[in-house]
Amino acid sequence: MSYTLRGRLESRLAGALVAVLAAALVAVLVEEWWPLEVAGIMVGVGLAVDAAVYHRALPYQPGWAAVPLGLLELGLVLGLVRATGVAAPLRPALLFFAGAWLTAQVLGHAVLPLARWTYAEDGGELGRAGPAVGALTLVVLAAAGGVAWATQPPTVRLEAGIHRGPLVIRSAQTLVGEPGAVVQGGILIRADGVTVRDVEVWGGENGIDVEHATGVVLDGVRIRGAELDGIHVRRGQVTIRDCDIRDPGSTHAQGIDISFAADLPASTIEGCTVAGGREGILVDMTMAHVEHNTVRATTLRGITMTEMSMGTMSDNHVEDALGVGIFCGDYSECEIEGNVVRGTRPDLDSGDLMRGGYGILAHFGAKATLNDNFVDASPGGIGAFADATILHEK
Amino acid sequence: MTARGACAIVGGGLAGFTAYATLRGGGLEPTQIAVFGTDPDPAGAWRGRAAAIRQRRMRSESDGHCYPRSFPGLAVRSARRTWSPEPLVASLCDRYRPSVAEFLEHVEELRARTGWDESFVPGRVEEVRAVDGGFQVGVHGVFRHVLLAPGHPGLAVPDAFRADPRAVHAYEPHDYAAHVAVVGAGMAAATEWVNALAAGAAVVSVRRREPLRRPLNVPRALFSRRGLAGYHRLAPGERAALLASLLAPSYPPGGEWDAPLERAAQEGRFAVAAAVDGAEQVICATGFRRGFRHDPLLARLVADHGLETEGRWIVLAPDSTVPALTDATRTLSLAGAPAQWAYPAADTLVGAKYAARRFLVRCRTR
Repeated sequence: MSYTLRGRLESRLAGALVAVLAAALVAVLVEEWWPLEVAGIMVGVGLAVDAAVYHRALPYQPGWAAVPLGLLELGLVLGLVRATGVAAPLRPALLFFAGAWLTAQVLGHAVLPLARWTYAEDGGELGRAGPAVGALTLVVLAAAGGVAWATQPPTVRLEAGIHRGPLVIRSAQTLVGEPGAVVQGGILIRADGVTVRDVEVWGGENGIDVEHATGVVLDGVRIRGAELDGIHVRRGQVTIRDCDIRDPGSTHAQGIDISFAADLPASTIEGCTVAGGREGILVDMTMAHVEHNTVRATTLRGITMTEMSMGTMSDNHVEDALGVGIFCGDYSECEIEGNVVRGTRPDLDSGDLMRGGYGILAHFGAKATLNDNFVDASPGGIGAFADATILHEK
Repeated sequence: MTARGACAIVGGGLAGFTAYATLRGGGLEPTQIAVFGTDPDPAGAWRGRAAAIRQRRMRSESDGHCYPRSFPGLAVRSARRTWSPEPLVASLCDRYRPSVAEFLEHVEELRARTGWDESFVPGRVEEVRAVDGGFQVGVHGVFRHVLLAPGHPGLAVPDAFRADPRAVHAYEPHDYAAHVAVVGAGMAAATEWVNALAAGAAVVSVRRREPLRRPLNVPRALFSRRGLAGYHRLAPGERAALLASLLAPSYPPGGEWDAPLERAAQEGRFAVAAAVDGAEQVICATGFRRGFRHDPLLARLVADHGLETEGRWIVLAPDSTVPALTDATRTLSLAGAPAQWAYPAADTLVGAKYAARRFLVRCRTR
């Protein structure tokens, strides 16, 4: 199709209207604003490339071009999401983008030509409805964005320097650490809807302690020297992204421990690095997705999902664990996929046969589904004990 | 029909049929539309020409159909019928070409569905004349809105071959002799080269210029407002010059054309020459006569009403209407090849729809 500039913009905004409405709905359902923020960035990127690039570069746009152009826009949107610090989880954000792209294709190829017979002849212009649709889209986006802005929790900026803790958060807010901001003695989160971003925590019994709180986001936090758990979650639902936990403060310390939340929505731990401690990441009686993390040099297990937990452990790197790399235990159901487990050492001092350097281990009635994992230099390989089952998908 | 009617289409070929389907799709009843033509089969003339050159696939793409809406096009319909995504993928890559059989089938289906035969009035219209409140259409009465789709005004045969017993026009039924000269460089000529070679003939292509290789009749941008806006802004002389260059003979790029020609050239069975020399058979793939002067109806219309012309074209408004004879109460539109002044690809099915949709708006609102 040969779009006019006006046609491109009107068609873009018509497609965006559906996406923006969907984003508003999703935002209400998940009680987070990222869908609207992503939708806003998508619309902005789309209009910008339409006006600045596509109109000049593509006097005629064949149907297949929608795929590479969509990928280009996806890259720009993801880059902007990252650059602007929008707290959008990757997979849902990708799904949202894909849905919006598909909707735009269906609109452009079928719905609009059906609704307006001269759609193609008019270069994608929508006639008198065009400005109205465009304005409506922008108004909906602006209104939703305004509501989002007006109702979002306050943002508290933590200046550079050492702040004596423990810091107790009892209301919804976003705590953003400026470069060099450190809380010594831990952070206690006791309210729903709290976001902690780019804060470093030194010491404390637990680095960050979340109890009875949902919708908590820990983004880019760094934990050093926690006595027990780097991140400790009880009866809570959290999204932990891009954290860095190391230098455990005792021989009993662990990286991340999320427990006793089986009745809450799933928690997510993604993109974190955990070095040292007994358990690297522990999920106990909880639903969780543990993805794209790096766990090194743990002394009990690298990643554990146990006690009737359910969830995924995918695309993680587990290195140099003592005894067990990835563990699915006690009637848990685990999807274990695309992980690399390397250098799991037998724990000879324990005298426990189940700690014989297993890369992946299922135990006590657990069901582990494995797909495309790579286990290397782990003498125990993959094992199952005590009525646990392992299903290999490939 | 002698009563004063609302809408009339003069011309029962594919352009007239497309206009009719558009009016029907826009809500007009068969009783509100009169179609005047000589053959009740809207594809009759086209079918004969396609058969003469043994055409198997359309040059047009998924949008090359007579339905009033562009979606679903022929690719979608084919995919639905065959449960195969192949037509859709090909269409996305601009490589879908419906077969002639598919196209004719859809014309038959649409003819039955739209009630074409209820509106069809057999007979040649010799004259359309502006009168108070509309147009007198031959002896059939007065209509407020008239669309003229007279089709091509006959086959073009170069003077040198008019009396040559070896000569046949490509669009007339013919077989192939052992040594064939094909005059022309457009789609029909290319089809004849390939067909004659496939029949075992030695072929000489006689042409004045190297053919253009273009997927469609005109560049794609000129099918939409993007290209049309600039085209409509051109001064009459510039527009006529551009049209003449746009309508130069062309055929699509692609191996299905090139491979057999290259193979035959290596075998010494295909060559390009400036003259037919001693060929046993001369096939004139020289298309149609061009310009309103060759069409008695249009020539008379221009003469009777002193219409503005430029070169071989009647000057039209961008909506394909004749400005001097169109006002708030009546419409005279042109469709098909004579409407190229408004839409360079007017002789395609997409072009027929361009005129038809604008005609529909006037029929519905005035």
